[in-house]
Order: sequence, then structure tokens, then C-alpha cells
Amino acid sequence: MKRRTFIQTGSLMTLPVLLRGMEVTAIAKSSLATLVNPDDDKVLVLVQLNGGNDGLNTFIPLDQYDALVKARANILLPENEVLKTSQINGFHKSLAGFDQLYKDGLMSVVQSVGYPNQNRSHFRSTDIWTTASDSEQYITTGWLGRYFDLNYPGYPDGYPNAENPDPFAITLGFVVSETCQGQASNYSFTVNSEADIKSLNETVPGNSDGSCFSSELSYLKDVVRQTNAYSSQVLEAFDKGNNLVTYAEDNNLAAQLKIVANLISGGLRTKIYVVSQGGYDTHANQVVGGEPVTGTHAELLASLGDAIKNFQDDLVALGIDQRVVGMTFSEFGRRIKANDSFGTDHGTAAPLFVFGSCVNAGIYGQNPQISDPLDNEEGVPMQYDFRSVYASLLMDWFKTPKEGIEQVLFREFQHIPFLKDCAIGTGTEEVSSLELTLSPNPAQDYVNLEFDSNGKLADVDIFDVRGYVVKSVSSRTIGEGPVTMGISLQDILPGLYFVRVAQGNRIRTQKFVRM
Amino acid sequence: MQRRSFLNSLSGSKNQKNAVKSAVMPPLGLEKFTGPWTKQHSAHLLRRTVFGAEYHDIAQFTAQGMDKSIDILTNFGPVADPPVNYDFESDPKVPIGATWVNKGHDPVNNTNNYRYRSLFGWTMGRMMAKEMNVREKMTLFWHNHFVVSDINDARYYYKYIDTFRQDPLGNFKEFAKKMTIDPAMLRYLNGNQNTKNAPNENFARELLELFTIGKGPIAGPGDYTHYTEVDVLAIARVLTGWTDVGFRNPNVDLVTSTFRPNQHDITQKKLSHRFNNATINNGGAEEYKTLIDIIFTQDEVSRFIARKLYRWFVYYQIDANIETTVIEPMAQIIRDNGYNLKPALVALFSSAHFYSDFGCMIKHPLDFVASATNQTGTKVTGDLAQQYNTWNSFFQFGALLQMRYFDIPSVAGWKAYYQEPLFYQTWINSVTLPLRKSYTDALTTTNLNTRGIRLDIDVLAVIKGFSNPVDIETLINDLALVLLAKPLSENQLATLKELMIPGLPDYEWTVEYEDHLANPTDLNLRRSVEGKLRNLFNYMMKMPEYQLC
Repeated sequence: MKRRTFIQTGSLMTLPVLLRGMEVTAIAKSSLATLVNPDDDKVLVLVQLNGGNDGLNTFIPLDQYDALVKARANILLPENEVLKTSQINGFHKSLAGFDQLYKDGLMSVVQSVGYPNQNRSHFRSTDIWTTASDSEQYITTGWLGRYFDLNYPGYPDGYPNAENPDPFAITLGFVVSETCQGQASNYSFTVNSEADIKSLNETVPGNSDGSCFSSELSYLKDVVRQTNAYSSQVLEAFDKGNNLVTYAEDNNLAAQLKIVANLISGGLRTKIYVVSQGGYDTHANQVVGGEPVTGTHAELLASLGDAIKNFQDDLVALGIDQRVVGMTFSEFGRRIKANDSFGTDHGTAAPLFVFGSCVNAGIYGQNPQISDPLDNEEGVPMQYDFRSVYASLLMDWFKTPKEGIEQVLFREFQHIPFLKDCAIGTGTEEVSSLELTLSPNPAQDYVNLEFDSNGKLADVDIFDVRGYVVKSVSSRTIGEGPVTMGISLQDILPGLYFVRVAQGNRIRTQKFVRM
Repeated sequence: MQRRSFLNSLSGSKNQKNAVKSAVMPPLGLEKFTGPWTKQHSAHLLRRTVFGAEYHDIAQFTAQGMDKSIDILTNFGPVADPPVNYDFESDPKVPIGATWVNKGHDPVNNTNNYRYRSLFGWTMGRMMAKEMNVREKMTLFWHNHFVVSDINDARYYYKYIDTFRQDPLGNFKEFAKKMTIDPAMLRYLNGNQNTKNAPNENFARELLELFTIGKGPIAGPGDYTHYTEVDVLAIARVLTGWTDVGFRNPNVDLVTSTFRPNQHDITQKKLSHRFNNATINNGGAEEYKTLIDIIFTQDEVSRFIARKLYRWFVYYQIDANIETTVIEPMAQIIRDNGYNLKPALVALFSSAHFYSDFGCMIKHPLDFVASATNQTGTKVTGDLAQQYNTWNSFFQFGALLQMRYFDIPSVAGWKAYYQEPLFYQTWINSVTLPLRKSYTDALTTTNLNTRGIRLDIDVLAVIKGFSNPVDIETLINDLALVLLAKPLSENQLATLKELMIPGLPDYEWTVEYEDHLANPTDLNLRRSVEGKLRNLFNYMMKMPEYQLC
């Protein structure tokens, strides 16, 4: 019995309160089919890489190889072991899965994703990524939680219901995902491969007096109610669905994604799935000393690449690939300079990967520039704000209107056209390149920035090597045509800096030295 | 609280009615509790400080009053004998029945595996031993505070955790010093790779951010109000030169740490203005003590640890009022006592605030697992191997519920004690709550498989100690006193009574139970009474209220 490996059904016995939910569900089934907007069946899979992935050892900038040798010879992958996507960059040898997806036009690489004023604490930076806050801003709701709040006010009161019988989001594992934390409740339902879903006792109504006791108790009651109501839906979808490819063995991420494919194919109308892979905090022994092709990081990447390749193949085989897009993320990249323990410390930005049949495959952004000589503290400077990735997903994938996106993310962010309109098969927007020059470089009190404006809002900022914004130069619309900006450096201490220009969907980060 | 008001301003007024249903404790401060000392009060104190108390414990702690109770709970006898080899015959240095904590690891026979099992089982055994003091909950607090994980030598874990178990209410500053050079900590946060030519800042950063002073709001580039990036780098240099000795080494019996002068950065270190630009001159092997002393001159350290203790023993919401009336007075006591924590905890456990509401904490998995057996007097028995195997089964169940001793998922501790906005609610979701239910189902219906020993609650024995078990309402209320944080509502009491004696008058219970007491060997009488009681225990332990303590 196949279901047994997924969920033990030993005593699936429902209590009266829940029967009401079941009846509602049964009615829903017959009448709902015509109401479902065919555009509304999109699924987003978030692949969280816990610990801070070393982007420089994942998608390797080959044009910076000489500088990388100086910075991290003890962990650097030999050049001939890189799976080249072009003459200037390529995937780590273990990421054959990604390489194939890229070559098949199913993967986009978004370079150097981060945020201004990088925080190098795991917990704080994970909070920033999951809440989509600014670096110094404290928010307790997740970005997808706010997206759901926008669409389903009042949740969890009255859910599940006829129109929404299934969980909005599912987290694989034992904890709910913070990305799905809404104002009142978390939208994600936890599913684990070993789970023993049984119906739970609802309590006899007791005292509710606004105390911390009743506050915690009401949370427990919500979990009981939702577990009872949603578990039958999830089980049903699991039984109805299936997998058509063989997934890698001994690969926990593959096991999670296998369940996701199974549930989607079974008709579950859950919009968000969160899966995760831990172990990326590679302060030590990221590679085996003397054998940089092997080691912890190589093993992690192999699992990652295999799992996602299996998943995509399965979606294609199941005929549901046009409904699903996936995205990796990690709380930060790692330091450029390796440490003496064959590892790397907490850094700044890193590449992020978007996969699926509706991806506008390509590489967005430029290779990071590796300084020589290198500051010990230096991380890869950000090119794209991670919220630009979220905004682009909300816009191109969930078709969220502009006002909605600004409500979820608090303001407007750059659009990155890494998805295409699957129905037409073309990209949503042309990406043009942004060339800029900085002179003189090294500079003393002033540096001149020149670029060709496309007439849109231009953000120009100067970052230090740790990822802090030390000067905001411009955030205004600049008329089309060549632009020259004289930037005063008198309030900036001598050192290495990066100027970042973001205009429309174009981006460029360029380093310079302040004497 | 600052963050919450910020959140409200973000969301505007539109979603106010939907805002997270969070509450804070009532506005009473650290002043001494002076109300009547009832069973509810002593039961509350015991739920928060020990892993489960029985009815007779609650009665005793009620009778002896608050001060005596707290005195008992905060004084400790000797620690149990260390864990032993209970089943592994191939450790050349350690026969069955002897301890391994001071014997070198044998790589040929891979002795570490059995030592792990022994350590894990023994640790669970300590929590299930129902010691009537705060030792085990404080030891776990320290583990969650000074986190270590990922150490493949059981001796390291034992040495590390024993530091806390020996002196659970000891001096915070001294613990910070001990942990700075603790062999397990040196390995976990790469202190053993921190050398003058390649400083590793991992421990230095966590020492400030998570272990002592905490991270404040960002005040500028690299400035976290309480410390700056300059301090992280300087402290990494202060701590250069230390390493652990004995890791998986068959020839070293006692693990320890050592200072290598040639790996130590002897130049002067300068801290930032957050530490009044303090300078630290080369002090060799003593230099780390100077550093800890400097950090602990900052009052924020006392507030930081007071907040962590509050979240461990009281509730997670700390608003401006609690900050003023509970945290700051606790911090003052901590400073006045040179970072000895006992007086501050005695004050907390004696405070009006502590008794102003009950049942606001969600039991963490180990509390849930151990208290279920301890509250019901369920004892682990059998020979040495059977005891350890049984303890290990419970240990694994705690791990399944996402709390594995010696394997905390992050250096910040378990999320339940720091992650907004869920905090304790992190423990509970659609996977873990059904698992918790399956555990109490097993305990109440004799299905608990613990590899060799069947463990179930002797319900008849439990109620024998109650105040008047022949009266059904008194019986149910007494059980509620043991299992639940608050008295049952009339509605709940009626439902539970209906569950036991559906449609019958109360005296039918009295008749049946007295019949059984008069004929204790009559199996039919016994089974019918026992069955009713099992239903009662089973139902109460799967009420959502049972998750609270």
C-alpha cells in the first residue's frame, strides 16, 4: 500500500465538528470546477538552502578565476571541473542537474542577489529574506503571508471553505515556513513523509478571557481544526496523484520534492510549497583538503542539482510543468576569501536559481568582480535586490497587480524578466545591458559616473565591502540619453567600494577605489 | 514593544481586527506575591520548574508554602552517577556497568556510537527521574543558551553539560569564561582554528550576539548598539591560541583545552566605543578572562540574560511594561549579586508577576514527554540495559517532536525561544500535534513500545493518592490539577463526567469504585474501573489544554 510510506492512516477517524468541514468539501468538489480560474492554478516551489550558500563555488565566474585563486586557492574548484555555461561562467561540477536544465532552457540564474546593508547573522538575515523587510526593519509577517492576506482576509477564521478546501501553502518537514506567516496566522500546513496524521480532539469550550493562556490555547485549537480538515484533502490528493520518474535515493530534498510533485498531480490546489536543504554553513571543511572537487559543499550541490532535475523531469512527465516554477534562496552568500579551515565565513550576495518550463532561461546580471588585493571582510556585492525577484514572481507568475505587489513588498522593485509567458513562449520583456564607466579610478574626492539612461527611475548607490550602503547618490527618473554624474567622495573613508546602478530591468555593479 | 508598534504602523488600521492574537502577562511586577498560596499556585510553580509533579508533590508544596517550596527547588544535591556502558562489549577500556566519560575513544571498535546511546539515554533518564528541583530545566536552559552541536565525541558533550548540571544556578560570568575555552565550544564555533595568522571570528560574534550582550538595533554600519564589528574582530584576536585536546583520541582519557602561546596574537586589542574604547593587552592564557570581565561591565548583559530566563520560565511577550517592572528589576538583582543567578530566579519565582496567569507556555517536546510519565508516577524499571533502552526510546520521541538534546538546529538555540512571532507555537503544527497525541494515546492505552519494557500509566495507582477518588467530580478535578494548568470549566467537567459514566448519576462511579476497592483481586471489577479511568486520562491528555504549562 503506497500511501503507507507517506502517511499512516491507521486511525483516520473524524470528529463531529470536522464532519461539517467534510460536507462542505464534498459540495465544493462538484460546483467548484467551473469557478476555478485557469490562470489561478500556478504553483511556486521555494527551495530554502539553510546556512548561507557559497555562491562563488556554485556558479563560478571564470573571468575572475585568477583573482579567485588568490582569494580561495584552498577551496577553489579546478577550472577544468567547471561545467561551463559560457566562456565566462559555469556551474560547479556537482551541479550537472542545473547544467542540463540550463542547457534545456529551463533555468535562469539571477546573479548576486542580496539587499542593502547586509546583515551577516543567520537568523536576522533569514528573517529579512522570509519577511522581505529592509535590513533595519522588523516585520513579523512573511512576504507570502502578506500575499495571502491580500487575497484571503480573515484567515484562518472560516477556512477551509468551499472555495478554498486545500491548504494555501505546504511546508515539507516539521515546522511551518516563516515566508507564509500572515497577520493572524501562518498559511502553511506542515506535511512530513513520516507523518502520522490522525484526527485530534477538539476541546470542549472552556474559558476565553483574552489572557496569554487563551491566546496560546486558541492557537492550539486552530492547529487541531486545520489539521483535521486539511489532512483528508492532502491524503486524497496524495492517493490520486503519482510520480513518473525515479528520484535520487538518499536525497532528502528529492524525497520532499517527490511528495510535492505527487500532491500537485493529485489535484491539490495549494499554491506554495516550501522545501529545504540544510548544511550550507560551511565555516570549516567545505571541501576536503587538497581535493576541492569533493567535500561537504560538493555533496550538498549534488543533492540539490539531482533533486531539482528529478522534480522538473517528473513535472514534465506528469504534464503539469507549465503550472510550476521553483526558486532557490539562501540567507546570504559567503566571504570571498576562504579561511584556514577549508571553509568560508558569512558573506553578502549570491546567485539565485529559478527553474521550470516557464522560465525565460538566461543569466541575469554580470559576474561578480573579485578584487585583488582583497579585503578579508569582503563579500560579493549585491546586484539585484531579492525583493526584485519576489516582485517579478508576483507580477509574472501570480499576475498580482502593481498595487498588490507594493502592498506585499511595501514599495516598488525592479522587474527582472526571468519568466516568460508560457502560452506565447516569449519573454515578458527584453533585457538590455547597462554599461557604465567610472573615472578616475582610483578616485580621490570625486568620481565621475557615466552611463546611457533609458529614461526610467535610476537608483545609484555606493556600497562598502561588507554590503552597507555608504552613500545614496540618486533615486529619481533620468531622461533618456547619456548621463554623467559627478559623485563627491569627500564624506567617504579611503577604501574599496562598489557603485550600483539599477534602472528599469538593467543592473550594473562596478568597483572603485577611494584613495 | 517597539517591533509591535512598528508592525501596527505598517499594517495601518485596515487589518487591525486580524492582527496576531497575542497577549502579554498581566501588569504585575517583580514585587513579592502575597496572595493566598493554593494548590493551583504550587502546581504552577512545579510545572514551570520541574519535569512533571504528582498529586502528592503538589499537596506537599502547597502545605509547606511558597518560600520553603522555592528554597527546595533551588537547592541541589549531588549529581547522579555518570552514564555507563550498558551493552557494548568491545570497548577495551570500559567494561559493562562502568562509565566511559573519562576513557579514550577507541576508533577501531567505534566506541562513540554506544557512548552516544548511553549519554542520550542517561540524559533522558535525568529528566524522567523527577528530581524535585530546577536542575534539569536550568541545565537545558544553559544548553539552549550556550549552544554546542555536531561534536563526534560523547565525552565532549558530557564534560560540557556537566558544567551546568553541577551548578545550575551558578554564576553567568563564570559560565561565559568556562564556555569560552570549553573543548566542545572550541570545536563547535571553530575557536580551535582561531589563530593569530588566521583569526576565525565565529565564536567572537556569537559570544556577543547570542551568549552575553545581544544584538541591539543597527545604529550605523557595523554598529549594533551594544557592540560593533570592530569588537567582533578584536575579540577573535583576544581568543586566538586556544584549542581542544583529546578529540576522538584513544590515548587521551580526559578531554580538555589548552593554550598555545605561539598561536596567540600578542598585540594590543582595542574595543569600540560601545565598550568605552577599552584596550586589552597581551595576557596570554588569562586574556580571555579580562575580556569577559569587560563585557560583563555592561549592564545590558544582565538585561539580556534576564529576558532569556523570562522566556524560558514565564512567557515570550515582553512589552515595555514588563521590561520596566520585571526585566529591569531582575537585571538589577543579577548585577547586585555579581551575576550569580539564584537570587534573581528566586525573586522571579516568588513574584506577583509569576503567579498572575497560568498555562501561558506551550510545553516543549522534552517537557511534554518527561512530564507525562512523571505526573503519573510512571517509572522506568528493569535491568541496566532495559532502563537505558527505555530512556532512549523516550529520547528519540523527543527528537521526533523536534527537540533533540545535543543537536540544537542553530547556534541561537531552539526557535521557540527567539523566533517572532510564533515563539512557543513553533513546536506545534499539523505534524507534531498528531505525534504528541499518539504518544499520550500509547501511554494511556498500553501500546507504548519502548524496546523491551512496556510502559503504561497505572491509572488506579495514580488516583489512589488523590484527595477523594470515590467522588467523581473531585477525582476529575484532582486529575485536572495534575495535568492541566487551569481548573476545568463547568462545561468541561460535565463532558468528562459524561465520558466516564454516560447518562448515569454520579454515585454510580462511587459504587463501582468502592466495589473494586473492597474486592481488589476481582479482575472484572478492576477492568471496568480501569477502563473508565483510561478513557479519562486519554481524553484529558489530548485536550489542547494539556499542551500548556
